[in-house]
Amino acid sequence: MSPTPQADQLLPVADGRSTTRVAWRLLRARRGSLALTVTAFLVTGFAGIVPVLMIGRVVDVVRDDGSFTDVLVPVGVMLAAAVVAAVSTTVSTAALARTVAPALAELREEVLDRALHLDSQQLEAAGVGDVLGRVGDDVRRVTESLDEAIPMLLTSVSAIAFTVGGLFTLDWRLGLAGLAAAPGYVLGMRWYLPRSIPFYRAERTAEGARAEVLVTGVRDAPTLRAFGVEDVALERVERRSGDAVAITLDVFRLYTRLGARMNASECVGLVVVLATGYALVSTGSASVGDATAAALFFHRLFNPIGAVLYVFDAAQASGAALARLAGVALIPPRDVAPVDAGPEPVLTLQGVHHAYETGRPVLARIDLTIRPGEHVAVVGATGAGKSTLGGIAAGTLRPTGGRVRLGALDVTTAPEPVVRRHVALVSQEVHVFAGSLRDNLLLARADADDEALWRALETTDAAGWARTLPQGLDTVVGDLGHPLTPAQTQQLALSRVALLDPQVVVLDEATAEAGSSGARELEQAASAVTRGRAALVIAHRLTQARTADRVLVMEDGAVVEEGRHEALLRAGGRYAQLWAAWSDTGEQPVGQA
Amino acid sequence: MGRGGRDTSTESPDAPTSAPATAGALLRRALRRNGRDLGRGYPLLTLWQLSETLVPVVIGLVVDQAVDGGGLGDLAWTLGVLVALFVVLSNGYRYGARFIKQGIEREAHALRVEVAGHVLHPRGARTDRLAGETLSIATSDADLVPMALHQLGYAIASLVAVLVTAAYVLRVDVVLGLLILLGVPAVLVAIQALAPLVARRTARQQESTAAASGLAADLLEGLRPLKGIGGEDVALRRYRVASTRASDDTVAVARSWGYLDGFTTALSGLLLAAVALLAGRRALDGDISLGELIALVGLTQFLAEPLRGLGDVSAQFAASRASAARIVDFLATPRILAPGGRTPSEDRPELVLEDVTAGPLAGLSLHLRNDELVAVAVDDPAVSDALVALLSGDLDLVSGRARLGDVELAELSVAGRRRHLLVVSHHGGITEGTLRTTVDPGGQHDDGALAPALAASAADDVVRLHPDGLDRPVRAGGSSLSGGQRQRLALARALATDRPVIVLQDPTSAVDAVTEQAVAEGVRRLRTGRTTLVLTSSPALLRAADRVLVVREGRVVAQGTHADLLRDADYREAVDR
Repeated sequence: MSPTPQADQLLPVADGRSTTRVAWRLLRARRGSLALTVTAFLVTGFAGIVPVLMIGRVVDVVRDDGSFTDVLVPVGVMLAAAVVAAVSTTVSTAALARTVAPALAELREEVLDRALHLDSQQLEAAGVGDVLGRVGDDVRRVTESLDEAIPMLLTSVSAIAFTVGGLFTLDWRLGLAGLAAAPGYVLGMRWYLPRSIPFYRAERTAEGARAEVLVTGVRDAPTLRAFGVEDVALERVERRSGDAVAITLDVFRLYTRLGARMNASECVGLVVVLATGYALVSTGSASVGDATAAALFFHRLFNPIGAVLYVFDAAQASGAALARLAGVALIPPRDVAPVDAGPEPVLTLQGVHHAYETGRPVLARIDLTIRPGEHVAVVGATGAGKSTLGGIAAGTLRPTGGRVRLGALDVTTAPEPVVRRHVALVSQEVHVFAGSLRDNLLLARADADDEALWRALETTDAAGWARTLPQGLDTVVGDLGHPLTPAQTQQLALSRVALLDPQVVVLDEATAEAGSSGARELEQAASAVTRGRAALVIAHRLTQARTADRVLVMEDGAVVEEGRHEALLRAGGRYAQLWAAWSDTGEQPVGQA
Repeated sequence: MGRGGRDTSTESPDAPTSAPATAGALLRRALRRNGRDLGRGYPLLTLWQLSETLVPVVIGLVVDQAVDGGGLGDLAWTLGVLVALFVVLSNGYRYGARFIKQGIEREAHALRVEVAGHVLHPRGARTDRLAGETLSIATSDADLVPMALHQLGYAIASLVAVLVTAAYVLRVDVVLGLLILLGVPAVLVAIQALAPLVARRTARQQESTAAASGLAADLLEGLRPLKGIGGEDVALRRYRVASTRASDDTVAVARSWGYLDGFTTALSGLLLAAVALLAGRRALDGDISLGELIALVGLTQFLAEPLRGLGDVSAQFAASRASAARIVDFLATPRILAPGGRTPSEDRPELVLEDVTAGPLAGLSLHLRNDELVAVAVDDPAVSDALVALLSGDLDLVSGRARLGDVELAELSVAGRRRHLLVVSHHGGITEGTLRTTVDPGGQHDDGALAPALAASAADDVVRLHPDGLDRPVRAGGSSLSGGQRQRLALARALATDRPVIVLQDPTSAVDAVTEQAVAEGVRRLRTGRTTLVLTSSPALLRAADRVLVVREGRVVAQGTHADLLRDADYREAVDR
């Protein structure tokens, strides 16, 4: 029922080589603990084959009717090997985590970093669920599989290497017999890998879609309930979750078929080793102990080989997740050029036009200049393009054409963080960030002291209620703490701007969502925040236009009137009409207005 | 894939919920409701593990009977036994693992749907959790809980393998048999000493991981305000702290796993050495054959695997249990609406509040008669929110009465509420889909029937101005629409339900004055013969109302038509812009 996001809208996914490059970069930065990890695993692998060799010795002692003291030597070696293996296992597990966990943390931080610094447009097109799925689900998947797969891989590879070596030291013909199983394993993997890779990709995509419907379902739950359609959203979750399950089960079925092929190879190998042992013993060229040790050696290979296959499998699954992470991490960081707008910069829009979809312009060639300290109000019917203009002026939206400059700074091409040093935007969306009141404010200026925070709150008239909070600035606010009213949330947003102290402020209907009577108070807060700065105010409340230095009247994406409030009223045009409707207290009955 | 939400789908909205009360109960239910899959999977998996265990015994048989001086015939039949064993082993795993995987995935799916279903329950849920946190419960925890089913299966199989080994060894040699029978449990008990450490650290790690992803979700949710003030870098620093903490906790968990695995490795190595020593001595004494010696050490060596598995089981189980506890806590969060079972007996009930005290409401009374359009002018947004919350069932009465027709609001059934009443808060979000699914989320109307609602809310141009019309895609949160467009669509959505009683909060706060007048007339026209309550300070809407109630400090202080009330200076001041 909902349109699935277009593939080209989703954030990028890295190809295999780039993914490896990212993984290697992260691991290389932790060379020391990586080296310790590998060494510890090699020691564990070697300590693992010692007991088998010793068992072969015990078998030979028994066959040769040796004395009990002859048995003590191999048993003593086994004990020593057990202690070494225990220590190396402990060391390797911890060293591995010290390598991998911080590397993954760095990766997820990079992903969020790139995601937050993406163009607002690009990120919103991809959907928040996509990013969230990556920093949450994908990281978890990679962590899990690395936690399990890397130790398995390293233990197994060293065990396999030492065991095959062991087979050859017994007798080269027994060694060759053991290799008889190898073609089976190779063929099995060549059968499996090309079949499983598309499944794993599909699985990750399905899980991403699942995350999206879960997040939106949870967030929209109150609305969905009010309209009695929560079951539709739930069905969507159920369907998307079911899709993911179906893929997971399909790929597992494939995996168990691979397992059957591997078992067949094991069986063939064991039969060949035993038959070779039989032949060698019957011709007198090998001892029964050697033949026994060879069979036990080969048997010992089952688990590590199974583990390697499992790791290959896990690598497929986590590789898809890692590729999604690497895809975002590889977005080049914007270099923040040290361009400065200079003091007292003038904001100019030249021939700015914009279309969200080609052929459907929402803004048509706008020219606008705002001098330092000047207040410009934009009014017009809903859908006239006011917010689009605000977004372009603030640099959150890149116009289809035209230029925006702020002093020496080219707003259309400069990275958002650079623009943000000079221009703040308060959009219609309000959000109380999880955390304390202080946390919420410090987002605007991390180094602000308490005095500065209170000053900002006083500017917007928020200090009054803020002082009554149980723990003052440290009170947890929002959904998880002390709830704030829409008006308080807006005051908080304006306080952040006061704290940021920008040269230009763009206010986009900042007072609109505050409810009925809070709006007037917010209007005062807004004018306190814009005092002494250049301001572009998208005025829903026309009283904001009355006090502005200049008013732009927009209609269907174009500026149709421009001037001061009084002049526009006298002109008797569109603005006068809007003003009449606005200031009409409604003494006439409806229908005769 | 069949329907997985077996337990949730049958629940009637007004019935009390029947979620398991403890983590243990949740895990037992998982076992019970996947009995079919697990009942097949566990025995097959056990058969596999048993066959794996018997491989060294058969190797011993081959060496003893064939390699050590036997004939070709001996070689043929002993190898035949080996091949047969492999056939059993291979198929046991293949089908056993499939059944278990199926059970696990179905359980994870069912839990996921149950978690989502709790939030998306007709009576809602007060979970007090961020969306990201809920996502983590529905994915990470829902996946971890059924891992207990996996662990149990492997534990059973391993245990059987150990017992069979012990039985074989007992038959060969009593002392060795007792060594294994007593030694293995001793090793397991010794390992358990470390399990609580692992469990504690795992719980902490899961918590800090969830906190990190919750923080990320919150930041992304507030992305626009965040970018508006350039707060990305401060936000990232905050995330980095949370992410590093999660990473540190992950290392701590790994370290405790390291102790556990090292300990298991040491003990199983010691056991193997002890068996080699004792069995070697018996063989030297001629008490056991060479084949039996090989089988004994081969078995003990192979035991290391199931032993290791059993050693890890309780720590892994603890992780599943921690996730189960989080899910149980989540499912135990209270419903928003009381489980009322009554429906008004009239077709068109009146909405009546008598002397209501709740939150900032201080003795508020209102009587909404049939076919009336009543506006309420409130001085304080908190009072407006409280009134909306009360009518939505999100706020409980302290005193007074609130009823819809002959039914108290607290006793109203979900079906009764949905037939008669719609309360639209101005926070009402726009959901992902198309314009059509936005305005008609239930898919109950055809385009012709939607037209009047779109026209009344002046939202018809949003549809008309786009080539796709009603099929125009809408992003989650309506982020592809302007604030005014969202608000008009939300109003159209409310009006399209045509419920007998509709309560609207500030339906025009984001639209211009000219549009506002058009909306006021549209609402009045469309709601003729219906009952409507509008909380607003918009003169256009106030004028359109039959009656205006003026609420100050939580109660009604004046009422009349807008025109009459305008003579009062206080009212004039309140609605003046």
